[in-house]
Amino acid sequence: MGIQKDRVRFNVGGKIFDTSATTLANAGRNSLFGAMFDENWDLQSGHSTTEHFIDRNPDYFAVLLDLLRTGELYLPSNMSEKQLYREALFYGILDHVRSAKWGPFDGNRLRLARSVTGRAPGDGTAIRAGPDGGCCVAHGSMVHVYDWMLEVHPPINLDYQRVNDAGWIDPESIVISACERFGTGDGGMGLFSASTGERRYKFHVSHENQVKSYTAGALSFSPDYKLFSSCKGRSNEYGIGVWDQVTGKQIDFFYEPPGWSLGEADKLQWLHGNNCLLVATLFPRKDNCYIGLLDFRDKSMPWSWSDVGAPITDEKRVRDAIAMEESSSVCVVNEYEDLGFMDLRRAAGSVRWSSRSRLMKGKMPDEPCYPKLALHEGQLFSSMNDSISVFRGPDWVLTSRLRRTYGGSICDFSIGGDRLFALHSEENVFDIWETPSPPII
Amino acid sequence: MNSSNQKKRNFQIEAFKHKVVVDPKYADKTWKILEHAITEIYNHNASGLSFEELYRNAYNMVLHKFGEKLYSGLVGTMTLHLQEMAKTIEAAQGNLFLEELNRKWNDHNKALQMIRDILMYMDRTFIPSNRKTPVHELGLNLWRDNVIHSSKIQTRLLDTLLELIQKERTGEIINRGLMRNIIKMLMDLGSSVYQEDFEKHFLEVSADFYRAESQDFIECCDCGDYLKKAERRLNEEIERVSLYLDSKSETKITNVVEKEMIASHMLRLVHMDNSGLVNMLIDDKYEDLGRMYNLFRRVPNGLPTIRDVMTSHLRETGKQLVTDAEKLKDPVEFVQCLLNEKDKYDKIINLAFSNDKTFQNALNSSFEYFINLNPRSPEFISLFVDEKLRKGLKGVSEEDVETILDKVMMLFRYLQEKDVFEKYYKQHLAKRLLSGKTVSDDAERSLIVKLKTECGYQFTSKLEGMFTDMKTSQDTMQGFYAAYAAELGDSPTLVVQVLTTGSWPTQPSITCNLPAEMSALCEKFRSYYLGTHTGRRLSWQTNMGTADLKAIFGKGQKHELNVSTYQMCVLMLFNSADRLSYKEIEQATEIPSSDLRRCLQSLACVKGKNVLRKEPMSKDIGEEDAFFVNDKFASKFYKVKIGTVVAQKESEPEKQETRQRVEEDRKPQIEAAIVRIMKSRRVLDHNNIIAEVTKQLQSRFLANPGEIKKRIESLIERDFLERDSSDRRLYRYLA
Repeated sequence: MGIQKDRVRFNVGGKIFDTSATTLANAGRNSLFGAMFDENWDLQSGHSTTEHFIDRNPDYFAVLLDLLRTGELYLPSNMSEKQLYREALFYGILDHVRSAKWGPFDGNRLRLARSVTGRAPGDGTAIRAGPDGGCCVAHGSMVHVYDWMLEVHPPINLDYQRVNDAGWIDPESIVISACERFGTGDGGMGLFSASTGERRYKFHVSHENQVKSYTAGALSFSPDYKLFSSCKGRSNEYGIGVWDQVTGKQIDFFYEPPGWSLGEADKLQWLHGNNCLLVATLFPRKDNCYIGLLDFRDKSMPWSWSDVGAPITDEKRVRDAIAMEESSSVCVVNEYEDLGFMDLRRAAGSVRWSSRSRLMKGKMPDEPCYPKLALHEGQLFSSMNDSISVFRGPDWVLTSRLRRTYGGSICDFSIGGDRLFALHSEENVFDIWETPSPPII
Repeated sequence: MNSSNQKKRNFQIEAFKHKVVVDPKYADKTWKILEHAITEIYNHNASGLSFEELYRNAYNMVLHKFGEKLYSGLVGTMTLHLQEMAKTIEAAQGNLFLEELNRKWNDHNKALQMIRDILMYMDRTFIPSNRKTPVHELGLNLWRDNVIHSSKIQTRLLDTLLELIQKERTGEIINRGLMRNIIKMLMDLGSSVYQEDFEKHFLEVSADFYRAESQDFIECCDCGDYLKKAERRLNEEIERVSLYLDSKSETKITNVVEKEMIASHMLRLVHMDNSGLVNMLIDDKYEDLGRMYNLFRRVPNGLPTIRDVMTSHLRETGKQLVTDAEKLKDPVEFVQCLLNEKDKYDKIINLAFSNDKTFQNALNSSFEYFINLNPRSPEFISLFVDEKLRKGLKGVSEEDVETILDKVMMLFRYLQEKDVFEKYYKQHLAKRLLSGKTVSDDAERSLIVKLKTECGYQFTSKLEGMFTDMKTSQDTMQGFYAAYAAELGDSPTLVVQVLTTGSWPTQPSITCNLPAEMSALCEKFRSYYLGTHTGRRLSWQTNMGTADLKAIFGKGQKHELNVSTYQMCVLMLFNSADRLSYKEIEQATEIPSSDLRRCLQSLACVKGKNVLRKEPMSKDIGEEDAFFVNDKFASKFYKVKIGTVVAQKESEPEKQETRQRVEEDRKPQIEAAIVRIMKSRRVLDHNNIIAEVTKQLQSRFLANPGEIKKRIESLIERDFLERDSSDRRLYRYLA
């Protein structure tokens, strides 16, 4: 064996670290270490001194060097996470820290990572997970944005317009839909910067070539860069608008057919495999529930279901709906967390309810929250009161339950960036659930 | 701050001042260090710099809110360096210009990489949140604005590039590596720089060049040479793109070449005297045709132009062929010519036109057009088949038989009057079967199967009936001889073929008087046949039979004569008489006079086969002629076949007759079609009936509208249809 040629010596804040170019190569091109080396990861001639002095804290450098060596992150309990992030930003390896912090999402291995107390008390409207592990929380006319380090950014202020829904286009951009206030001509939808909170763009709706003011409701995004929103115009111009995420221009509008509800929809879901949009308007926004699939190419509704005319009992009242393309079905939930299923391949039939939790009846908390549904890689999530249940097909059996008693009922939750965010109604607290990194062996 | 605040200045509130501020001098000092480093980098003097220190300095500036100062300082410094570079490049003389530009571009790129490394922290944090251009992109933009778009470089660069390309087009060798680097630089600066500063002008200059060049070529080259040159130019441009241009330019520059060299001269090329498309077709110039096809395919309307010229040439030659009086004399050659023509064009389309469907369709429609120009085509095609199945196919392998039959079927498909073909085919098949001349049963059946798939069961049912009759007759004869073996002794052998009326193209004909021995034998057969098959009627078709006679001539020569039944009847008379007059023969045999004349002609007038002598000696048969046995008859063969003088082609009256029969047969078919249509539609106007009837019948023949009208009238007379009382053009179906 000869002498190891790729050894590198650092002097970080007075402490000597010996490492290898191979280890540093794990940091990637776009890091301080990447800049020190040429394309072949040989030291650039300009910096060929025996020791490289870096004027930083050596303790955190040790943690980060370990991360580069092993791909895993271990922060001693007496050290600050925030400081670690700052050091990582200096070296340009913040992304490495993030991807080492938590593992790929699995609904059955989640553990509570943190709870964050929010700014405004109570009555949260929505929480939305961002693509890189951040989230935004909407209540009233404010949207608070947290990055993946759970640092709060300047809030998005809608100037007292009520926020209806929010969604992430990319880690830097958030779309927010808001109510129109009478007489102001504002409301609608805007694109906001996640880091600064400033508005970058306003989405317009035109009817017969005239720009009109509107109230934007539920939002949905498609992988081919379309943005959908339910719209209520002033002169009964109700329906679903479609915009291009890249140009920001309105490209289509599906007008509400008579006897049906689209403009006030609670939930939109783009189904890429079917090239259709699921639109659900539910009790109590309307007296009846309307769920339909819209095909924008020929402006048709290839599938629809409604409980108009059916005898309504609380057990049969649908509170949320989600389409599951893999099993070609729609899952609905009632206020006792009973799941019901409908077949998308057959023209609207009836709901097949699977009553699992009759026990809930009569044991309702004082201030119940309506159940919400979410789907992630074959796992179905349903929130009810202070817990979230995880189900797995084909018969949707219960596999896990996430519960934390503090904070009251869960009013909304969202999955994204390999994290689950749950927003509680009473104390304005939200929880972050993560999957731990896989075991060593 | 809004305008109302500015008016009320009195109320302005002072900012809260207890902020932690870094000494601005520190920022200046740090920036000086960084600025110095940037200058050193541009001066190739970077080895003395400490990367870690510079990185930390840039980090500190951003951290302490001097990001804006750092960024604008970078823009200023880099601009200065680039302006200096631009001056050096401008000063480069002649050929060195591009090389200097390329060298400086490489220098700038290296420097930019180092600067970006030093300023990485700013690139990562300050730039995205302040929506500034990232360092690398900024470096490219500054290079573009200060170097490429400097007034003394921009036009010089373009002119140099275009001049080099022009040189290469005229055969000079240029430094392609350098070209590729410079073009790559333009592409790196963004597709709009490449397009605006180079590609647009390049396409314009190319269009001018090829416009002029194609004009020169077309004046002095023949069509084949021109196409070769155009192809070469096109390939050169494609190669140029692959060597040093943006791959997206390929379609654009090929479009220019295609437009200037092909589209603008298309008609002139196709119609060029002595070398245009028609000459290529005549001389089978596959390579030139292929080249023309591949080049013309690239331009709008290119292929239709070729196709139209080919079609009209094909129709013209085809028309000459089917109306050529010489060719009409020999049906076999006529059909062979058609087949050769088809083969020729099939080969052209296959080899040169890459089996293009539209060309195949054009070929088919042309053939359909001219084959039907000659009303005798169906007859000739049937005769061709007859010839092939009679003897032509002897010693030919089964596959070859199939190929020939397939080719014939192809011609058959072009025929509009398929029923006429059927008529002739039936006649010819009957002759082949009855005279036992058919070479191969398999070949016959195979053709019938082909006809059946082409035209359906109806078309061939009678033809198949003929084959069945042949088979049954064989069995019947065996039965007859088994039953009468003892009684018959050494009387002549009789072979009877029992033909079902309707299946065969028989005409009611007068039975001639058979020799006594024969008629006795025939009577025996009749009673045998009627005894085994009740309820049938037999009538003798003496005009269709043959006979083998043993004859001994004057000097004892023995021969076996193969003759027709009529000839047999005549010759048998000479067993009991030496000399007979025409009248006597006619009286004794009762053969119809036209047949008798032909029969006597073949016995007495054909040299080498004249078993009879005639007085007076002449070619034609007269009413007053007298006949003797030719004692001096001689032949080197024992068996002698006496043919009947028959015109192989139909004579004029026969043709008329066939035609008439075809017309007769069409009547019920047209009527059936009308009734079928009206039964389902109930009410229909005149034009639609004509259209539908024509459509229904077109697989068999082209119905004549006048005839359809007659048939409609006949159906109205017979109360199948009526005219609508209010609208005379409407017909109603009467159930």
